[in-house]
Formats: sequence, structure tokens, C-alpha cells
Amino acid sequence: MTVQQTLRLCAILLAMAPVLVKAQSPTDGLLMKKRELCNLLQYNQSNWSEYWQGTTKRSNSNLGTVTNQNVMLMSAYGITNKLNALVALPWVRTSSDVSYLQGQRGIQDLSLWLKWQPYQIKMGKNELRFQTTGGLSTPASNYFADFLPFSIGLKSKTASLRAIAHFTTGMGIYVTAQAGHTWRSHVHLNRDSYLYHNELIYSNEVPVPNWFDATVRLGILKPKFQIELWGDRSTGLTGDDIRYNDGPMLTNKMQATSVGAWAKYWVIKQLAVSVGGSSVLDGRNVGQSTGWNAGVFYLVDFNKKASN
Amino acid sequence: MKNINIRTFFFAGLILFSACKKTPEALINPPYAETSLDNNGGNWKTIILTNGSEISVPTPVAAGSDLYQSEITALKATMSTASDENKEAVQYWGANGVVRWHEIARELAANYNAAPNYNADGTYPVPDANNPTAYPRFPFANPPYASRAFALLAVAQYDALVTAWKAKFAHNRLAPYKNDTSVQPLLPTNDLPSYPSEDAVVAAASREVLKFLFPGEKPYLDELSTEHKNTRLWGGMNVQSDIDAGDSLGVAVAKRIIAYAKTDRMSAANKQVDYPLLKADATARGITTQWRSLEIPARPPLLPFFGNVKPWNFNDTTKVAIRPPAPPLPGSAQFEADLAEMRDLAKNRTTEQYRIAAYWADGVGSYTPPGHWNRKATEYIYEKQLNEIRSARAMALLTTAIQDAGIACWNTKYYYLSQRPTDIDASLKTATGIPNFPGYVSGHSTFSGAAAEVLAFIFPDKAAEVRNMALEASESRIYGGIHFRVDCEVGLEFGKRIGGFAVERGRNDGAQ
Repeated sequence: MTVQQTLRLCAILLAMAPVLVKAQSPTDGLLMKKRELCNLLQYNQSNWSEYWQGTTKRSNSNLGTVTNQNVMLMSAYGITNKLNALVALPWVRTSSDVSYLQGQRGIQDLSLWLKWQPYQIKMGKNELRFQTTGGLSTPASNYFADFLPFSIGLKSKTASLRAIAHFTTGMGIYVTAQAGHTWRSHVHLNRDSYLYHNELIYSNEVPVPNWFDATVRLGILKPKFQIELWGDRSTGLTGDDIRYNDGPMLTNKMQATSVGAWAKYWVIKQLAVSVGGSSVLDGRNVGQSTGWNAGVFYLVDFNKKASN
Repeated sequence: MKNINIRTFFFAGLILFSACKKTPEALINPPYAETSLDNNGGNWKTIILTNGSEISVPTPVAAGSDLYQSEITALKATMSTASDENKEAVQYWGANGVVRWHEIARELAANYNAAPNYNADGTYPVPDANNPTAYPRFPFANPPYASRAFALLAVAQYDALVTAWKAKFAHNRLAPYKNDTSVQPLLPTNDLPSYPSEDAVVAAASREVLKFLFPGEKPYLDELSTEHKNTRLWGGMNVQSDIDAGDSLGVAVAKRIIAYAKTDRMSAANKQVDYPLLKADATARGITTQWRSLEIPARPPLLPFFGNVKPWNFNDTTKVAIRPPAPPLPGSAQFEADLAEMRDLAKNRTTEQYRIAAYWADGVGSYTPPGHWNRKATEYIYEKQLNEIRSARAMALLTTAIQDAGIACWNTKYYYLSQRPTDIDASLKTATGIPNFPGYVSGHSTFSGAAAEVLAFIFPDKAAEVRNMALEASESRIYGGIHFRVDCEVGLEFGKRIGGFAVERGRNDGAQ
């Protein structure tokens, strides 16, 4: 009973904005069965020393290497075989080996999703599934967002909607394609003016760009293990660029194209371990990060408990 | 008539955006009827000009003349062609031209507030006034540069308006809507003589001074100035000769201010080749542990000779005489207590301390601390609905005090070359960027102390508020982890004293 992958983007986009960490399971093609609960504890670490100031790649000797570490708790529960509820909460820590700016740490955003599979087509041993995920998130602590790249998040409330197509063969080989849109609320700064597209805005209220992301996965899923390769494109839909020799800002249009690999192995029936890695190939207003993650999955089957 | 109307376009854009709740609204203040005209304003003491009569304004044609009547006819024709966009611009500029141009200056300062990035060989490029649009753009509008920019702008506006007032009440030409009641003005009316147009005076003086300060923005400033002047026609507030005379006067005054600026010793403020001499001088005075740049690669210190720039409200002798005493030395009880406070802060900085540090940081990409106080002053001007000349006086007193604070503060910084907490203990982490110049005394504290004293003088009912704000601004640098307490406390008191010189000018300028 596989389920979760995780924080893939965290490995990626954490880059500039740790907040863009996203739980992946809302974006994969898998579902928990009814009355099954899967819990995940995952550690992610990523770092970057080069970043894109707008579309210009550069390094900054006063920033050095920026590291993002996070520990994520995530659970997925099968309300029915076709409807899952997911919840996630990461703790994030940022740091640099050079900068004098104080690295930040704390609980980031609480996320909640519902994932539904309204339609599937059986084609012999193969199957094509269509799913949709709706999600909400909200900051879970009073962290300091206007401190990029060291903020642990963007502090924006979000709502997201995505569509997923998942094709699997009888051999367990699968292909998943997903695309999602995330709406982000305005956030409030601790200051009352800022530049936005070179205009001086006299307000503490900042628009954070909405977000589009799309992912393609190719993998194999067997009773004992799962291996997956993936590619992802994420982009802010509005926003400005990092100013010349300035720090990143919540209004920036962040983009990243990234790839990664991930594997999971079931040690015993209820317990699996996973490892993964990722790398940003191209971007805008984000760091070119590479990252890895390791997780432990623990499955609880309430069907069996009930029948026992 | 094709008018490039950036402001209105900008506002239209904002309104469009806010309709879909995507961009917060900008600062929009409606026009108001001034509570007083200050008929005596032409006799107020000027700052650079000898007095309000030094630059003469030609006698206008009589209101009853054919020439004037043809201007009224032309005015009505122009008014009838004004689009909704033009009328929005009338409201925008009609709210207070002096303040609008300070808003423009603040926006320019914020946009130009970017320190040059290092070259591959570890050196830093220097912005070039002759090639202002190439990166690193000229100017780097750091706090001292911005303080001087705001002051030059304000002094130009003020001296030009005193001269304008002098001419207005000498010639006493009534506004077009008083000479011809069929002219329906779009803005609140008053009894102020309309020749020369105070708006054209402000537009021209501001435009010319800002072109000097931000030479890469000449086309933009021309567009703004043209729009500002046109709004006086669209709105039925001035005839063309009011505006032409105002523009000529504004240009003439700006020339005087720019001539002053060319000799105020700013041109030597970044003379890095002399920095070793400055350091040697400090060494000779026994200051052997000296500030150094923590940036990688080490960045040349920010304007090490800004402290030699000519002050507005006192002379060089006074500047040296009022310089604060040397900061406490390592090993002294006060120094160790201050260091202990910084170490504790780095470990236990609270959310509220982060908030205060961020609110007052006014760092890269902002209008700087001088801009923060500039904005505060303009908010009070709106609240009190000051007329143009009184607004200009308030801004001139404030901004000259703030530049004086910058000069005296920089003089102190580079006299003692004192280290910041992070120089002493490299393990300390900060909540804001570490400025690239010596610590003692704090620039934010000195700027804010001076600004608060002037604002308390001009707006007595705001005295407690501005002094509390200045204290918070000062302490924000401790919370940020970049200044010892002594830097801030001494800087704040120093700033108050410096502000007192501008207050003294204000007490004696004939306006009080």
C-alpha cells in the first residue's frame, strides 16, 4: 500500500522560498484504501550557492551556501477507496555558511487536502485513473516572512486545485501527469512601503504571486518497492524580479524546472523507508538547489483492527 | 494633443488591480482648500537665495488686456478638451505639488538604492554620473545621498515659492476663475494671486533639481513636470502666462540650488584614495582598532568624506565642536554591558524586536531613513492641510536638518572609526543587513533625533508621537544586531541637538 511521496519541491524551491515546499502526495496518482492511514516522517535538506537574479544566474559571496532543512509530518487517510484526506505540517530551518543574517527556524504552514478519483478506465491489465485534489494551507506559527531567503515560508494562505492522470500497467509501471493552480493570499510585512515593479507601494500589504505547477512521473510500483523519476515545472503567475544586487522579495515571480528520483522500500508490512534526491535545472528568482530526503512510512489499517 | 500621462495611467492600473484585489492601493490623498494663504510668505527668509526679491519676475499683462482675454479663451478651450484621465491628474497634482514631488523623489531614491555588485576581480564599480543608466546605475541613493537629494529638492521648492509669493502679492493677478466666472475650476479655490503659478514653480524647480540628482530619469521627470503644469490648465486654475512665468522662475531658482550643490563638497565625499590618510589620522589619535568592511570582497567604505559636506544650519566649526565624545573602549564596563546585550539579543531576539528592526530598517530598495521621515512629514502636511509655501518650509526645515544629521553623523563615524558588534564578535547574527561604515554614532538614531525635533517644532501636537518614533527607530538598530546601545543613545541625543539648529532657523524665518 504505497502512498506518499513528499516534499519534492522542498528539495527544489526551498531554494529561495522554503515555503514553496510542497507535499507531493497531493500531486501523485495514488490513493489510500478505505480506512487505511499512512503516516510519514521525512527529513529534507537542500542547499544552493547560485541563484537567479531575475533570469541572470549569479552567486553572492556574502550569502555563501544557503541551506534549508525541514522535518515534515504528513498523514493520508482513506475515507473511501476513491476519496482521501491528507494533512501535512513541516518544521523548517534555514541557514547560511557565510551570511550574518540570522537563520530562521520554526513550524511553517499547515496543509490539508482532499483527493478524489471520480473516474477510471480499465484496459485489460492496464488502468487509467483521473483524480483531482483540492487543498488549503495556512501559516501555523507567527514566523517572519519578509526575510528571504532565510524566511521559513511566505506566510501566505493558499488554496489549490489540481488535476491528475495516472496510467498504470499490470506490471506496475506507471506514468503520472499532474497540473495544479495555487492561489495565494496577500501577506502583511513589518514595514509599510516596498517596491513592486519599481513602483513604491505605501502599504504593508503585499501580493504574493499565484502559482502554477505541472509534474510528470515515470515509475514502477511493486508490493515491496517503488522507484520513480520525475520532472517538474513550477512558476509564479505574476510578480517582479529580484532587483539588481538586492535580496529576494515576496512579490518575486519564482520559477523552477527540476528533476528528481525517489525510491521506497517496505521493510515490513506496516513500515517503509524512502530516499530521494532532486536538482533544479533552470529557474528565475530562485536558488539552484540540490537536495535529498529520507523518510519513514508507517501504515495503520483500521479495517484489520476492526476485524480483529 | 497626445499627452503621456504616466501618473494617471499608474492610478488607473492600480484601481484595475485593486478591483481584483491583487495590488494594494498607493497613497492617494485628495486635494483640499488651504486654511491659510500666508500672504506674507514672500518676506520669509530664504535659504540659498538672498531673499524673495533676488530673482525678479516680469510684470504680467493686465487682466483686462486683450492678451489676457485671449489666454482665458485658450484656457476654456483646453479645459473643454480635458479627458477623464486628465481630470484624474488634476486631482492627483492638485493635492499638493510640493508633497507630490517629494513622493516622486522618495520613489526614485528607493529605486536607486542599490549598492554596486562586486566585479570578478574583487573590486567594486563606481556609479558614473555621465553614464547614469548603466549598471551600477548613478546614483547609488544610499542614506547620505538621499538626505542631500531631499534637502536640495526641498530648499529649491522653498526658495522658489518664497520668490513666487513675493511676486504674487506684488502683481496681484487674480485667478482665471475670478477674472471670468464662466471658468469652472476643478479644484478648491482660494484668493491666492495666480501669477506666477505656484504649481509651475514647484514643477520646474523640482524637475530641474531631480534631473541633476537622478540624471538617468530626465525624460521621466520632464513628463511628470509637463503633466503637473498641464493640470493647471485642465483644471482651470492658471492661464498659460501664469505657468510660463512659474516655470521660468522655478528654473532660475533651481540653477542657483544646483550651483550650490556643485560646491557643497559632495563631489569629494567618495574620495576613496584619501581613505588611508583618514585612517592614519585616526591612528595618530590613538585609534588603532578600526572599523573594517565585513563584506566579501571588502567593500570600500560608504562615502567616507560625506562628513565634510557643507551643512545647512550650522558651520564646519560648530560641526566639530558638537561632535560626541569617543565611544567606550573594549574592557570598560559600558562596552562590556553593551556587548553582552548584543550577544543576548542574537540568541533571544523576540518577534517584536524583529518587527521593530524591520519596520525601521529602510535598507536597500527603500527610501532610506531620511525618506521615512520625509514621508511622515508629508502625512502631517496632508493632515494639517498646509498650503504650498508652508509645506515647502516644513520640508526644507526637516530635510536640511536630516542632511545636517547625516553630515555630522558621518563626520563622527569616520573620526572614531568605531567597530560594530559583528566586528567584535563575528558569531553574532543580525536581523538586518550590516551597513558598510563605522558604527558610532548610529545614522538612524541621528537622522531620527534631528527629524523628530523639527517635526515637533512644526507640528507641536505631534511632538510626543514623533519623539517616541525616533526612540523606536534608534533602538531598532540595537534589535537588528548592528549597533551597540551607546551608538544609538548618543546618536539620538546628537540628532536632537542637530535638529535644534533647524528649529532655530524656523524660529527666525518670519513664518512662525
